Amino acid sequence: MEAELNRFAEEAAEKIAQCRTPNDILNARAQFLGKKSMLNGLFARLRELPAEQRPAFGQLINTARGKLESLLASREQEIKSAAWEAQAAVDFDSSMPGYSWQRGSFHPVSIIRRQIEDVFLGMGFEIAEGPEIEDEFHNFDALNTPDDHPSRNLADTFYLESGKLLRTQTSTVQIRVMESFKPPIRIISPGRCYRNDKPDPSHSPVFQQVEALVVDRGISMSDLQDTLQNFARAMFGPQVKSRIRPHFFPFTEPSAEMDISCVNCSGAGCRVCKNSGWLEMGGAGMVDPAVFKMVGIDPEIYTGFAFGLGIERIAMLKYDIPDMRILFENDIRMLAQFKGESL
Amino acid sequence: MIISRNWLAKYVPLEMDDDALNQALTFSGIEVEAIDHIPALPPEVVTARIISAEKLEDSEHLTLCMVDIGDGSEPRQVVCGAPNCSAGMVSVLALPGAVLGELTIKSARLRGVESHGMLCSERELGISEDHAGIIRLPEDTPLGKSVNELYELPDTIFEVEITPNRPDLLGYEGIARDLSAALNLPLYIKEPQPVPGVDSDAIGLSLSIVEPQLCPRYTARLLADIKLADSPLWLKTALIKSGMRPINNVVDITNYVMLETGHPLHAFDYDLLQGETEDAAHPSIIVRRAKDKEKFMALDGNEYELDGQDLVIADGKNAGALAGVIGGKQTAISDATKRVVLESAAFQPQTVRRSSYNHKVSTDSSYRFERHQSPEMAARTSLRATQLLVELAGAMVIGDLYDAYPQPVQRWMVALRKSRISLLIGYEMAEAKVKEYLGNLGLEYVKDGAWQEELLHDASEIKECDISSKCEAAMWFAIPPKRVDLLREVDLIEELARLDGYHKVPVKTPPSIIMDKHAYRIRNQVLDYLVGIGFYETLNYSFNDPAQLQLLGIDPQENTHKLINPQSGNQALMRISLLPQLLDNLRYNLNHGERNLKLMELARLYPADQNVEPLHCTALVTGQLRAGHWQNPGRQINFFDIKGMVTGLLELLDLPGTKMEPLAKSWLSQTRNLAWFIEDKPVAQIGALQPAIADKFGIDLSQLRQELWVIELDVHLLTEISRNRKRTFVPLPRFPSVSRDLSFVVANHISWEHIYRLVKGVDEYLISNVEIFDEYRGKQVPEGLRSLSLRLILQDKEKTLTDNRIDALVDSVIKELAEECKIQLR
Ligand SMILES: [Zn+2]
Repeated sequence: MEAELNRFAEEAAEKIAQCRTPNDILNARAQFLGKKSMLNGLFARLRELPAEQRPAFGQLINTARGKLESLLASREQEIKSAAWEAQAAVDFDSSMPGYSWQRGSFHPVSIIRRQIEDVFLGMGFEIAEGPEIEDEFHNFDALNTPDDHPSRNLADTFYLESGKLLRTQTSTVQIRVMESFKPPIRIISPGRCYRNDKPDPSHSPVFQQVEALVVDRGISMSDLQDTLQNFARAMFGPQVKSRIRPHFFPFTEPSAEMDISCVNCSGAGCRVCKNSGWLEMGGAGMVDPAVFKMVGIDPEIYTGFAFGLGIERIAMLKYDIPDMRILFENDIRMLAQFKGESL
Repeated sequence: MIISRNWLAKYVPLEMDDDALNQALTFSGIEVEAIDHIPALPPEVVTARIISAEKLEDSEHLTLCMVDIGDGSEPRQVVCGAPNCSAGMVSVLALPGAVLGELTIKSARLRGVESHGMLCSERELGISEDHAGIIRLPEDTPLGKSVNELYELPDTIFEVEITPNRPDLLGYEGIARDLSAALNLPLYIKEPQPVPGVDSDAIGLSLSIVEPQLCPRYTARLLADIKLADSPLWLKTALIKSGMRPINNVVDITNYVMLETGHPLHAFDYDLLQGETEDAAHPSIIVRRAKDKEKFMALDGNEYELDGQDLVIADGKNAGALAGVIGGKQTAISDATKRVVLESAAFQPQTVRRSSYNHKVSTDSSYRFERHQSPEMAARTSLRATQLLVELAGAMVIGDLYDAYPQPVQRWMVALRKSRISLLIGYEMAEAKVKEYLGNLGLEYVKDGAWQEELLHDASEIKECDISSKCEAAMWFAIPPKRVDLLREVDLIEELARLDGYHKVPVKTPPSIIMDKHAYRIRNQVLDYLVGIGFYETLNYSFNDPAQLQLLGIDPQENTHKLINPQSGNQALMRISLLPQLLDNLRYNLNHGERNLKLMELARLYPADQNVEPLHCTALVTGQLRAGHWQNPGRQINFFDIKGMVTGLLELLDLPGTKMEPLAKSWLSQTRNLAWFIEDKPVAQIGALQPAIADKFGIDLSQLRQELWVIELDVHLLTEISRNRKRTFVPLPRFPSVSRDLSFVVANHISWEHIYRLVKGVDEYLISNVEIFDEYRGKQVPEGLRSLSLRLILQDKEKTLTDNRIDALVDSVIKELAEECKIQLR
């Protein structure tokens, strides 16, 4: 009888595996597990066995029934999945275009500005903004610019009928912050600046700058180097080197020009860097004690550094944009190229 | 851990109030999780003896008692419901007039019998949660006495969290030592005095440690002549206030000493311990690993199946305790106990943790041993408990302490550099202060010497540090053995910083206030949102062309900053509108063949009459909503698309329900025009650009057959208005909402907004929302009318809405609409 059961179970399993439709499953269930199935028949024949063997064999029948039930269930599931898949496959072409939300794009100058802000925020700087329409004091006097300095000319600086002027650099914000807040100060001030330059591939009367200012006890040129190096790496990649070399600005002492190793040729020399291997990034230096005195900070206690960067210049370098004027055309064929640039 | 202020005050004078004590605990690193004040009881609550107690007729559980309060007056008749109420018992009676919390005791009749007062349980007095029966006081308690004295009331119970690195704080003495060190207060911790034992041959013990790694020290003290009884009230009170149940004097003393010292103890019934063989002279205590599948019946009534990882304290035959975790039932103290083995030991924390975790049994003992108790404390703790057992249980000490301590912990010394302290905590601490703080913690200053990282065990090993040798000067401190957490220089510095107060650590950089983070966030949000819905950001010079302003109908002379030296006439003004250049940008791109354009600029304006340069955003939209797609043919952008763009932004900025109405602009349509007002200021506007204006900018809309939509956002105002916005969570409705639809015909001139307010106004509370889901004008609707379909969302926050209420509500809505708008239901 046990052999009979085993044979039956094997056959049934085979038949179940051959089921192709939900209907096959229905039939198989009736055939193997239904009232008139052989399994039920075996139950009826339990009486033929000696009493002591009955429970054990009853158990065997139940196990076989359980196995067949689970085989049927899993085969049924397979058949359903196959049907679902087959139905979806009819006339389905996954290569047809998707229905996109059609994102716009940020202006590349905005992208660079936000990236720079992000780098400095990450270094613990704060962002400070100030007015673009400024007075001579904040734009020149407080920055230690001599009265007869050429930058004060109408040829260099835009003046308004009200007697005010358009700031020529965001250093004005440094002065405003130092007037209102005590050190330690760690700020950057991004924003629009104005110089009376005719638009050409590398000039624009309206441009954006980021100034950084750090004032605290014990700030040295070494901190300037650190910050600059961190910034250059964050913006242009870990391989980029930075350096400072002597220069002159009225509001810093010592003053410096900052360079980064050419992002185009990695310092080997090329068209972009005019074969020097270095790219000029902007001016820097240690805040002149005269500037500190102007805003009431004791230069004996505090020292600080400042530097300024042109945002358009960085954008042009990063994206290989050859002419600054392109940035102001607002051609969406240009703008659309920056859809994938995140802020 | 639960600590009573009064108990703590026995070791350290606590002059400060509870708040100050809370502060002091918190700042010395003991987190206070809850404070519970137990108030003093009124004078009407006194000790009393129940002279007689008889079951009250007709009642299952009431007892009629005659109670004596010892003032010579007649006994008082009191009805009591407690099961343990019996004649002769001394308990606590609250006399009429006593106020217990919210309950005022009055004379009353219960089942027709007068009752003049209430016999109290501990819970009724607010002492503990015990409400099983009335309080049973020792028979010799003086009667008529205020209960405050007996229970040391008032008191304050602090529930504190001890961090796992501070096993020394797991007892009152440790906390007191820390407070005394932090607050520079005297410390009253007495060293227990040796109790001489009586020699006896009749009683002895065979003690062995099989696993010295897992049990570095085991001490056992034999005590005879134990008079097992209830503990005195002060001891009971102390335990109750610390959250433990009194059991009997022997068990209570082990618990009391554990709470006091932090070091757990255990007591075995000596006479239930077996020897290794039948004829052994003495019973055994063997510290060994459990046998695999060894059965152990614990005090909690559960049987545990142990394995070879568990450490047990066994007698000659069976496991008598799961080491450091829980005692066994077989050898437990019982009423019959006469002789006791008092265990005071130290166990490897990992072993205790593992057994506790594996068998899911956590006890006050395992809690402490898991956190590491020093073997050095075992003997002292044993002595303290012995003292109390002699005092309170009449115990006789037999012989000397059995002390298995194969490898005594060597005293260790740590070097501390002064320079390192200031480097780590940021300020200088005077040497005297350092020595004082550490001295208060029980550290002993040994001498100055050369710094080294490694611990030393002998003062003679400390090297001299003179100027010539290359060394760093350090102070060497010997650590009290119970401070198992002090092993490195930095551990000592932590103690110093903690005791001196973290508030003394100077803030190097004052909190910054320079950056306007809110403005920064709003600016980015606006830009991100617009780019996200398809806008291209443009960048233009900050100038306006006076001629272009005039084309828009704006007077270029008014409210503008004029440049003295512009590069050209069309850059003569500082910008007061972003629109002209955006129109230029649009034309430029149309000329390049683009048809669908969404352009925007986010920039400052420079109106002469304001002293800020307000940030504005202007956007232009024309063409299809989304470019045509093979599945979804495109459609032209309409007014409601634009309106939705602004609504979405205001939602993002969390600026809700604003007033909306058209605002005339010389360049916009008068009808397809809408402005949003917040606090009566226009913050956003949309509208269709007049074709004539577009034409002046070289854009031929009729030829394009497109509308040109303008969005203007005053980002500066949006920033200021949203500045102090705070979101608070509104609890979710617990009852389902119901919706009902209404369709009706209404005159065209009646606005949706008017209808919305009307409907909502019927019941602002129950009508949670009104949505419009259809508008129809056409054949079936007469000229000048439109058909609207509304969905009312109804919800009551308190209960489920019944059909009756819903119908009544809908009827009121229809009535209101019929009267005000002359609607006709469809
Ligand atoms: Zn190069």
